[in-house]
Amino acid sequence: MIYKTNDAKEIKLFTKGWLKDLGLKEAAAAKIEKLKTTDFKQKAAEAAEKIKKLDVKKAAHDFIYGKPHEERRLGDLYVPGTGLYKHREWRGVKDTMYYFNMIWLYNYAHMVTDIMKYGGPVTALKGALRYRWMGQCYLTVMHWFDRGLEGTRGAALRASAWHYRGMVNESIRQFMRMFAADKRFNNGEANELWKNTIAHDETVSGNIFYGWRDRMDDVALQMIPYFVTCHVNNHTVLNYIDAAQGIGLPADPCPMCQAEAGIFVLSDVPDYSPVVVTTNEACDGSVATSVLQDWFLDRPLYAMPQPMRYDDPLVQKHCQEEIEGCWRFIEEQTGQKMNWDEYVKHAEAFNKLNEFEHEKWDIAANTDYYPITGVAQALYRIYYSQDGDRDIWHFVDKKVRRIIEKCVTQKINSFPKTRHRVIAWSCAPLYYSHWCTWAYNCWGLNCIINMDSLMFDQVLRTDTYEHAIEDLAWFNEKAPMRTMAVGGHEHIFMLWDYMERFHCDMVMMYDQLQCKGMQGIHGMFEDEFRRRGIHAIWMPHALPDKRTVSRGEIRQIINDYMFTVMHEEPLDPTLLDFDDSDSW
Amino acid sequence: MRDLVHIIELEDLLQEANNDLVRQAKSEGKRALGYTCNFMPEVLLDLPGCFSVRLRAPKSTSPDIATYYMSNRTCMYGRCLLERAMEGGFNFLDAEMATETCTVTCRFQEHLQMMDVIQNPDFFCEFTDVPFKKNENSVQHYMTQLQAHVLDKLSERFGIDTSDEALMKAIEEHNEVCRLIREIGEYRKLDVPTITGREFQIIQLATLVCPKYLILPMLRDIAEQMKTREPDEKPAWRCKVVLTGSEEDDPDFTKLIEECGALVVADRHCYGSLPGREDIVVEEGERPLRAIARHYLENSQCPRFMEQHIMRERKEYLAKLAKEHKADGIIIAQMKFCEYWSYERTIDTLVLNRDYGIPVCSIEKEYVNNAVGQLRTRFQAFVESIELKKLAQEQKASGGEA
Repeated sequence: MIYKTNDAKEIKLFTKGWLKDLGLKEAAAAKIEKLKTTDFKQKAAEAAEKIKKLDVKKAAHDFIYGKPHEERRLGDLYVPGTGLYKHREWRGVKDTMYYFNMIWLYNYAHMVTDIMKYGGPVTALKGALRYRWMGQCYLTVMHWFDRGLEGTRGAALRASAWHYRGMVNESIRQFMRMFAADKRFNNGEANELWKNTIAHDETVSGNIFYGWRDRMDDVALQMIPYFVTCHVNNHTVLNYIDAAQGIGLPADPCPMCQAEAGIFVLSDVPDYSPVVVTTNEACDGSVATSVLQDWFLDRPLYAMPQPMRYDDPLVQKHCQEEIEGCWRFIEEQTGQKMNWDEYVKHAEAFNKLNEFEHEKWDIAANTDYYPITGVAQALYRIYYSQDGDRDIWHFVDKKVRRIIEKCVTQKINSFPKTRHRVIAWSCAPLYYSHWCTWAYNCWGLNCIINMDSLMFDQVLRTDTYEHAIEDLAWFNEKAPMRTMAVGGHEHIFMLWDYMERFHCDMVMMYDQLQCKGMQGIHGMFEDEFRRRGIHAIWMPHALPDKRTVSRGEIRQIINDYMFTVMHEEPLDPTLLDFDDSDSW
Repeated sequence: MRDLVHIIELEDLLQEANNDLVRQAKSEGKRALGYTCNFMPEVLLDLPGCFSVRLRAPKSTSPDIATYYMSNRTCMYGRCLLERAMEGGFNFLDAEMATETCTVTCRFQEHLQMMDVIQNPDFFCEFTDVPFKKNENSVQHYMTQLQAHVLDKLSERFGIDTSDEALMKAIEEHNEVCRLIREIGEYRKLDVPTITGREFQIIQLATLVCPKYLILPMLRDIAEQMKTREPDEKPAWRCKVVLTGSEEDDPDFTKLIEECGALVVADRHCYGSLPGREDIVVEEGERPLRAIARHYLENSQCPRFMEQHIMRERKEYLAKLAKEHKADGIIIAQMKFCEYWSYERTIDTLVLNRDYGIPVCSIEKEYVNNAVGQLRTRFQAFVESIELKKLAQEQKASGGEA
């Protein structure tokens, strides 16, 4: 084991003289010397002077309710390089207590109870020791909460945190299922769970498998090992990208697909299913990764492609038959018949989730009382709609509905410092999905909605089989990063309609440097922004790979635009520039 | 070897999209129909009254305006096509029969739709959806798409006869081109081939970018001459290779490989003849359109296909090509920024060597062949490695030390 000191000296622990090399004795001596030379009288006088000048009434107000936005100086809280806090943000008595009890304690406790509920600590520990993504990400979860909830108060704090809670619970459930079914943890033998789990590409929607959810489970191959981990600990994915390039893949394909390939290269996906279902969503890269998946997984595979020109009425029948082909494949491979009633049950339950999503959009679009941060909105929507109907989403929506109703009826504006209503378009940097929290705290840029939230906008009818399969096909054609990105430029240019619908005055234009579809239409967007007089900030990034454009560089680009084009001053100047390069 | 008849003429025809034969066909009142991908069946665009032109952008340099529109992080083929279109090089086109089969060419074609680039009042761009599988569902789907987005459009816009009889006639002409190309290509399988890779590529490319009825007489002459063509007494090549990979329409690239001592004996790439120049067979009772749809799906070796057995068969196909053409190795050339071929090249490089024992040279290249020096070094090293391998095998066979 190697320990790196603050002055970048590397010390091999537990080798001869390592204690001496650590220099603890010298450090202690320096501390004592510092204490000796400190003038405590002067320090005490300074403190007394400060107390004299203190506006007690304001201090008490700040203590009870938290400081006003402009005085928070959130950037001062960071330990340089780490993104960690020197001390936690004081949000006022009520919100700080809520954060401590209902977010920190509540979620830590549930991270333990969820493990117990879904398979027990031994299974979890095996997973943590075997799979890098699990080992590196489980204990950084609460830091993920911190980043996404920074500066939030009241309803925004509560509603957004519930979204995070839902995602954590479902992540634990999924990886525990993977571990429990994992052949590697069972001496290479297939247990009942292995036989009753369907593995699928993360871009295949969970709703395809509703018909088996009474007996089997469906778990996406990359959702937890890749997608979730990017948000929770942005270092983990780098290893997978490097692994994919290590076998000869060039560096320019979509880094998401590279990372997804990398987890297979490193055998870092549990062996939890007898079959695999792949798809062509969202792009050429997704199709191309199927070759690698097949090579590494080497088991019966069903490819379920969706048509590219998806709003052509002539393609629908073809798409429906591919879904039916997938169902036949599962039945043949597992010997388990699809249960239509079970499909109907989950489809109708999912419609409830989608109904509430529409209500949320309506409030976000037409009022100032929407209490959910841009990052919570985006991640939760992507997660649950891709995953499909699960109990936890209904639980979360119930909690959130109560909060939203309160905000609307009592006209509570959770983002009162909003200067610009922003729509985020194209695909977001996964390592900096919480940029919207920063942008609001620093500049008052309130991300109202994002492109990925608008996917899967489809009611699933269940009155007849024909209607059901028709809607299911449409649903899958409207998948993330796809519904707007393929099938014609008119889809990606739906931005203008959505800007109007959500009353946005600014665009955060994600510029995924390795997305050929978006790069291929870059100039047309430039032309249209100019022609329509729209303020758009291009945010370059490489999806999961923070090495291409760092979080700091993204902030700098936004800062530059706000200063030089918008001629605005920051709400919290301490957030303009800080070093979180080593942060999770 | 003696120069092939018409080869200089054919080479001239490749210097610009709007070449002499295209102009001749246009002056005869025929409609020029552009396309980029093999999944737009050229046979449908060669119906009486129109002709197909597979788009290329020869003599491209730096596609500056296209780079503004499509950024410098997309495949240069797509950008060079857009640049050429903006320069007016495709104004002769009456229509672009588009496919969303790879992202960047799709975006290129969308620019033609959106930006009024083609200065031709009749011009339109129509997209066809192409399936990712070869099953019956896909054949049906593809056929429906081709009917609606190709045949019906050609009939509506230009009054083209799209009847089964007209299709049969087009198939007949197409099959003759294919038969001649295959006949010429057969000479590449000889121990000492009597045609170079570059010559063959020029002929094959010319069939893609010129009206078929005008190119056929030249193909017949070449096929005739090939019957008596003798190889050089001392061939210049040191080994034979299969060239595979993504879009490749530059005979100078093949020339570069051959200058390094590797004769290209098989061409499995987007503009190649393997596969692509097989006869379209209309089975008894089958509609010609269905036969065309089935043919283009069943014969393609595109990495776009996702079915498990098809993905695996692609490797076997390459190995089979190498064996049939007595190739010593395979060069896999991928256009930079091509997502499909990034992965396919990676896996082919590993599998062909490991499972089939075929030496592989794996390269990335640009559309404009501006990295000649580095590529030359790579190819020379590859040829040397094959020679060393052969030498070691010979020594081993004769009982000497490897």
